[in-house]
Amino acid sequence: MKNKSVLITGLGVISAAGSNLPETMENFRRGLAHSGPVTLFETTLPYPVFEVRKIPASFLQESQRTISLALCAVAEALHDAGLGDDLSGYRVGIAMGTTVACQLNDLEFYKSCRESGTAPMHPVDLYLKGNIAEFISRRYKTRGPSLTLVNACSSGADAIGAALSWLKNGLCDIALAGGADELNRVPLCGFGSLGIVSHEICMPFDRDRTGLNLGEGAGVLVLETENSAEERGMAPDLCLTGYGSASDSYHLTAPRPDGAGLEASIRRALADSDIQSDEISFVNAHGTATQDNDVVEGNVLGRLFGSGLSMLSTKGYTGHTLGAAGGVEAVFSAAALREGWIPSSAGFRNRDDRIPLMPVREITNIAGDYALSTSLAFGGNNAALVIGRRQRA
Amino acid sequence: MNILGTGIVFTRGQGMDSFERALQEGWRSPGIVPSPPSIHEERRAYLVEHRTLSDRELMKKVRRADKLSKMAVIAASEALRNSTGEDINRKKTGIIAATALGAHVTTFDFLDNILEYGEASVSPTTFSNSVHNAAASYISSVLGTEGPTLTVTDFFFSFHNALQLAQSWLLEKRCDYILAGVTEQYGSVQAYVHDTKLTAAPDGRIRPFNFNPTFQVPGEGSVFFLLSHKEADKALCEVHDVLVNTDGCDVLRGDLDVIDTDGLLADESHYLQTLSGEVPVASYTPLFGSIMSGSAFTCAAGVRMLEKQMIYASPVKENPHGLNIAAETRPGVIELLRCIRYNCYGNKAVIYLRKK
Repeated sequence: MKNKSVLITGLGVISAAGSNLPETMENFRRGLAHSGPVTLFETTLPYPVFEVRKIPASFLQESQRTISLALCAVAEALHDAGLGDDLSGYRVGIAMGTTVACQLNDLEFYKSCRESGTAPMHPVDLYLKGNIAEFISRRYKTRGPSLTLVNACSSGADAIGAALSWLKNGLCDIALAGGADELNRVPLCGFGSLGIVSHEICMPFDRDRTGLNLGEGAGVLVLETENSAEERGMAPDLCLTGYGSASDSYHLTAPRPDGAGLEASIRRALADSDIQSDEISFVNAHGTATQDNDVVEGNVLGRLFGSGLSMLSTKGYTGHTLGAAGGVEAVFSAAALREGWIPSSAGFRNRDDRIPLMPVREITNIAGDYALSTSLAFGGNNAALVIGRRQRA
Repeated sequence: MNILGTGIVFTRGQGMDSFERALQEGWRSPGIVPSPPSIHEERRAYLVEHRTLSDRELMKKVRRADKLSKMAVIAASEALRNSTGEDINRKKTGIIAATALGAHVTTFDFLDNILEYGEASVSPTTFSNSVHNAAASYISSVLGTEGPTLTVTDFFFSFHNALQLAQSWLLEKRCDYILAGVTEQYGSVQAYVHDTKLTAAPDGRIRPFNFNPTFQVPGEGSVFFLLSHKEADKALCEVHDVLVNTDGCDVLRGDLDVIDTDGLLADESHYLQTLSGEVPVASYTPLFGSIMSGSAFTCAAGVRMLEKQMIYASPVKENPHGLNIAAETRPGVIELLRCIRYNCYGNKAVIYLRKK
């Protein structure tokens, strides 16, 4: 009996690859990637980034870009799921991952505070009202668990995993889960200081890759128990079958060289799904285009799935959206599984001899019922999600 | 799920024995902390002294970590050590660290870097430590745990959220053991925000039963609990239920209500609605200070009370509403204890702890 009891009834996404899912899939089909210099704030750093070009006005929150992005993706996912703006009649949980929205890193506020001992409280008020899960919960009047996960780059995937646990354990009937993050000066400086940001457009898994590009976005799934979906007359074709998470127990910023933590997380997600590795149709890899990430991840995927695996990284279309990445990439994986194709892995040209498999270089049709999305995070946490396609009656 | 071990770092030291001493001895005046020249009044806070973080074996493993992470590592290590659980399967041990403000002090250090040295010359070590999940990561690497390692944040309910998720993970057998807890660090920007938006206790006393007006004294520290369904015979107590923003928080009455009134809400009158005259009420926030995730400290007190079957006197006893407060330390039969917290939206979270 395969584990298909938690259904995916809605998908929503916004990133540099598109401001909704249909637009994103069309850009994937056409191989279009939109990167460029930073325009959202002043910076001396020359790195290219993947900015969201336009957030629809109805979702804009003053000086709360991450929340604006999240609201955009949530609204699309709810619409897709046939749910409205008032969720008070349902038992709904909210699990969202982020990195930027959890910190009061307003430079002007801080500068004023340290120079004069005083500063206007407006940024503080926005920060205190800006816990992302709590904000969404208030906006949609939900009564259920609300969780903001701040687990660096696996935050979005871990949020989806937490929601899966809630649904399986009866804490809610519906969950909105994913991640959101804005492009922000502080992580741009921080990642730059670590020497892992590229001056060029990122090239995940490529021999000549020179690092990651930062991006921004939000990706949200509506997850639902079978009973709840049935009561609402929904018959979705997708489900979330498994989640695995494991720690490297190794280093604050570097992945464990043998990839044991990532492998453990993938094995757990497969076991959760009650499937074997050869049932995975494709992997949407974390694939940041840093030297360390891609070697470790590529070797683990090669070891588990063999060199013939259909694999891609979508960061060549979105940049690394940090806390949003797990959510954004789960939405991409679900949509690709539903449509039966994956886009070319943007930025990849030449095989790296240290990596036993290659990402796809063109649009690739996929068969089968399961997709895997992986996330690796600072702090050594690894997360894996398995998304399934239900057999229609 | 059961609590097998508890570890704590707070203003009066490290370890549950120190905490129990504080519960027995009662209130002490907070320390005076350095203020910027523009602040003319003295600032008080319950800070963790440097010598409390002096476990050399542990500290050399986290020598690059900030105070937030060091406190967390010490508390989590103690929770493991005093649980007789040193031999637990670390591959099946997860960590859920909860925090309201996270690494805000180190984040501001990083902003100092940007302002002083420019965007291209900032410290990668400071940046790495400013990431919210650094503390959980240090715990995992120091203790060698390989299970899921998460950090969650919420201004008032982060600890409750962590316990709820831990409960689910244990039920699913995703983990055999989970170290769940909180860590918070005091910082000068936080103090400025507190001074501006809240009322500092003029004599250093948090008055938990005043409700309005309220008075706060910032605190810092870390508390971790080792949770499991295994080894029930060794349990200190059971986490009977965790309810957040849902119906049913008042259905089950305990033998003692412990409230997290600490002056972090300008009006704490909501608490009056949930208290019953029949059940005595206590609050221990004046011992450790106003901490957004302070519910974990309250739970640590609850664990010790259930374990020892002692009701500790509320350290500040001003009682203008005539509540049935726990005013004296005395032996008592406690089967079920209810820890109550409200947030700024009037939502309530409750943790029930039950005697084993």
